[in-house]
Amino acid sequence: MDNNRQGAKASYVALVFFIGLWLILPSAVRRFNREAFAEFQAPALHLVGKGRDLARYWELKSRSPEELVAASRDLARINAALELKLHSLDDARKENIRLREMLRYPQSTEFVTVVARVSIRETSSWWQRIVIRKGRSDGIRPGCPVVFGDRVIGRVSTVHLTTSEVDLVTSPGFRCTAFLEGDDQYHVVHVSGRAGLSLSAPRAVVSIIPLEYNPPAGQIAKVMTTGLGGVFPSGLTLGTLEAGVQSTAEKHMQTGALTPAKELNFIQEVSVLIPKYPTAGEILLTPAGKPEEFR
Amino acid sequence: MKDVDGQNPSAPSDPISAWRLRAIFLLFSAGFIYVAVGLGYRQLIQNDALNDQSENQSRRVVIRPPSRGKIFDRNGYVLVDNRVRWSVKADLLALQPEFRKEYLDLLNKEKARFPDRRPDYDQLQQTARLNVLNAWLTKIWFVIDSTNQKAAKGSAKVKSTPNLHPEERMVHPDALRKHLNERRALKFPLILDLAFPNSGHAVTPEEGNRAVARFIEQFPVHGPITLEADMVRSYPNGKLAAHVLGYVRDSDILKGQLDDVVESEFVNFQKLGYTGKKGADGIEATYNEVLSGRSGWELWTKTSSGYNKDLLKFSAPIQGANVALSLDTKIQKAAEEALAKIVDSQGKPLPAAAVMLDVNTGEILALASQPSFDPNEMADRVTQIYFDQVNADGGWLNRATQGLYAPGSTFKLITATAGLRANKIDWDDILDCGPSYMVGGRAFPEHDPVGYGQVDLEKMLAVSCNVWNYQVGLRTGPESLAKEARRFGLDAPLLRKPSEHDNHSTTELPNPATRMVIPDRAYKQRVAGEPWTDGDTANTSIGQGYLLTTPLHMACLIASIARGETRTTPSIIHDPGRDGRHAGAEPIGLTTPQLNALREGMVRCVEEGTAKIVRIPGLPYAAKTGTSEYFKKGEKAHLAWIVGYAPADNPVVAFCVLVEGQLDTSTWGGKTAGPVARDMILSWRSAADEK
Repeated sequence: MDNNRQGAKASYVALVFFIGLWLILPSAVRRFNREAFAEFQAPALHLVGKGRDLARYWELKSRSPEELVAASRDLARINAALELKLHSLDDARKENIRLREMLRYPQSTEFVTVVARVSIRETSSWWQRIVIRKGRSDGIRPGCPVVFGDRVIGRVSTVHLTTSEVDLVTSPGFRCTAFLEGDDQYHVVHVSGRAGLSLSAPRAVVSIIPLEYNPPAGQIAKVMTTGLGGVFPSGLTLGTLEAGVQSTAEKHMQTGALTPAKELNFIQEVSVLIPKYPTAGEILLTPAGKPEEFR
Repeated sequence: MKDVDGQNPSAPSDPISAWRLRAIFLLFSAGFIYVAVGLGYRQLIQNDALNDQSENQSRRVVIRPPSRGKIFDRNGYVLVDNRVRWSVKADLLALQPEFRKEYLDLLNKEKARFPDRRPDYDQLQQTARLNVLNAWLTKIWFVIDSTNQKAAKGSAKVKSTPNLHPEERMVHPDALRKHLNERRALKFPLILDLAFPNSGHAVTPEEGNRAVARFIEQFPVHGPITLEADMVRSYPNGKLAAHVLGYVRDSDILKGQLDDVVESEFVNFQKLGYTGKKGADGIEATYNEVLSGRSGWELWTKTSSGYNKDLLKFSAPIQGANVALSLDTKIQKAAEEALAKIVDSQGKPLPAAAVMLDVNTGEILALASQPSFDPNEMADRVTQIYFDQVNADGGWLNRATQGLYAPGSTFKLITATAGLRANKIDWDDILDCGPSYMVGGRAFPEHDPVGYGQVDLEKMLAVSCNVWNYQVGLRTGPESLAKEARRFGLDAPLLRKPSEHDNHSTTELPNPATRMVIPDRAYKQRVAGEPWTDGDTANTSIGQGYLLTTPLHMACLIASIARGETRTTPSIIHDPGRDGRHAGAEPIGLTTPQLNALREGMVRCVEEGTAKIVRIPGLPYAAKTGTSEYFKKGEKAHLAWIVGYAPADNPVVAFCVLVEGQLDTSTWGGKTAGPVARDMILSWRSAADEK
């Protein structure tokens, strides 16, 4: 009985000791520990993702040959259409390069694209965060935009060696500037995520909408990136502006709700756009008081 | 066990010891009882009061000023607006760990460097704060200057925003010290007005948008550095109608409003107000109460160091009401552009004023005064340099309503009316007008050296014959001339507000002139101590001598004549339901032929007389020019006048233009002031045709 009590006491003492030790450890050591834990966790995250891919594979294997043939035929048609698009895009790109050379304009390719699978998406932060299977070793840096096709998914918030965390458009940590479809004056509006319950509808807010803006009647206005902020290329879709835009309390501006792209709910694969110049995330990570480091 | 004396050693050896123990016990008991009673008293009886005190000490109400109402012209065109001002601010509470770390670094360095000297802890703290804030500021500029990031990889040429000197991109120590002393609870502004063109941070609206977008997208949402928006006054047309619109200045009036705006339960809390604005001139000042709105408030918890921590509750400010002016932006613009073309030998615009009224309602369609100022320069905080510059140019004076001038030949309309009403002359009487007229042994000259010969009323007005007026003025007498001028209200205060309006100002525009002079015998005796002479009458009859009035009075006079009445009540406020009745107005008191002759004379002035240089083909209008003399630095210079109405057959607008000539500049009514009148009429016609 006494031994048990002593053992319990020893456990508490050990707990207090380790908590105390953690508190007094230098921040570099604590950061290392956190990083090490993230890297230790990474294979497990990979395994979860791979397991899900495998489940999908076996699910497809169970389909009948007729279904697969039909799917293959549909895919072939889509491929053919995409091939055509690809050709025209390639022609447009070449024309663009030629014109830029002729006018001595700098080439516009400022991003390198890295494709990444979604490794894990926790239910508790469904509309806030995803983890992808690419990290520092793939050149990903904090602040890089994350897209799916022409739709914005979010931006990289934390980078580990082989994984990265992405704040989604609907995360409270996300914000960017946008143009509204149908606004001839190209007023710059702000889009920011809002915290919401995991199983509730995703939430993001469009603010600073000028009073003179009226969404086209009966149409859904797309909300698109401006390209002014230096993070997202221009013209990417953030979502659509819901009906029912309202004036602010002081009646200077309007605010509205953003419906994000539907892919945000079941996203499996994303593209990370890595700019060729340092991202703000990197700049802000430099210690305060040492501004000369990036001058 | 007993000792050698047979006594128990553990028992108290001395009865005093037991007494001592009891005393100590009682003392402690009394202490505990005191504490318990005190605790009970505080918990049970003083509970509510202490709770209130605790809340009062840990919470603070921050008053937020409202946006001012907008000012429109008569067509709904925005003359004064509010715009969003984006400012980058530092949350000093969130930066405390960084301040502390930097402070300890500096302290260690200081101790290592001067081991025997006691460090100046306050100075080190201040330096630490400055270092941290400047480091953040450098990062902010780096992120905002869009080309810098690309340049880091050598893909583009470095181009920093050129408007700011590097020192202006640093935190000013005095500004930080002042903020910590006075407004520690609020965020510290690192960059004010990030996106406003020509504010030093952006050159064009596009650059402004880009700067804001870069901050929004690149800085973390919940970091210590935030981008905040507030509303500031904006005058989209710059100097246009500046004397009418006025400007705003900082105001602590919010402090007086605190008890009015917050809920009664917060009244005893500590309060802190952002600096508000109040009107300092023009409509901004005279309609300040209407435009001001109602402040909002925020309830914050505060830390022991005095910083705001959490926002608990808030009430949004309510914007002030809008004001619609009677001005027509197009006519106003035409007037100011035309005035700006009148320059002296150095190319500097001459001091001048122009007014255009609606003949029937008296609403002012244009009211311009030159030189002027840009109210945007005062929207945030005016610099002493700009203030002195405007002051040196005489730009603060609204010459249209505050400038007092001798009306010159435009006064001949009054002389003629007085003569006609006193039956000293009739509309078709002809007077012989030579090159001069002897009055009191002195030859009063005609401005044409050969004279005008046989002159009737119409010809007099067309050619502006002086000798005709000397004769009629002498026949009528100074008292009748003065009485007639007063009947037309040339010395009456104008722009009085209807009583139900803002009771902080009694006039629609600030300080309109009240010291107009219509001289008579008593006046001269009073101011000069001399008796009135015929020479004084002759001078008065041509609008010289002691006469002083404003361009707005002359515009009202001409509007009254156009309607066949004696008074016009001008107003700068647009009221679509205005009935066209004018306070104190009575019929002009002339027969139809007399009134027709008066009007026809003014039409001939434009068609063939002194204003023919500004005739408008296809648009006949009536006018009377004037060129009076005034003394500038002891030497004679000329004032150029033109008054009139248009169109000639159905008057809709009345106008008056005045230009202050300089010693080295030849200035004449028709030639100098006329083009401004012509441009205003053309602009009015163009606007009327569009409607």
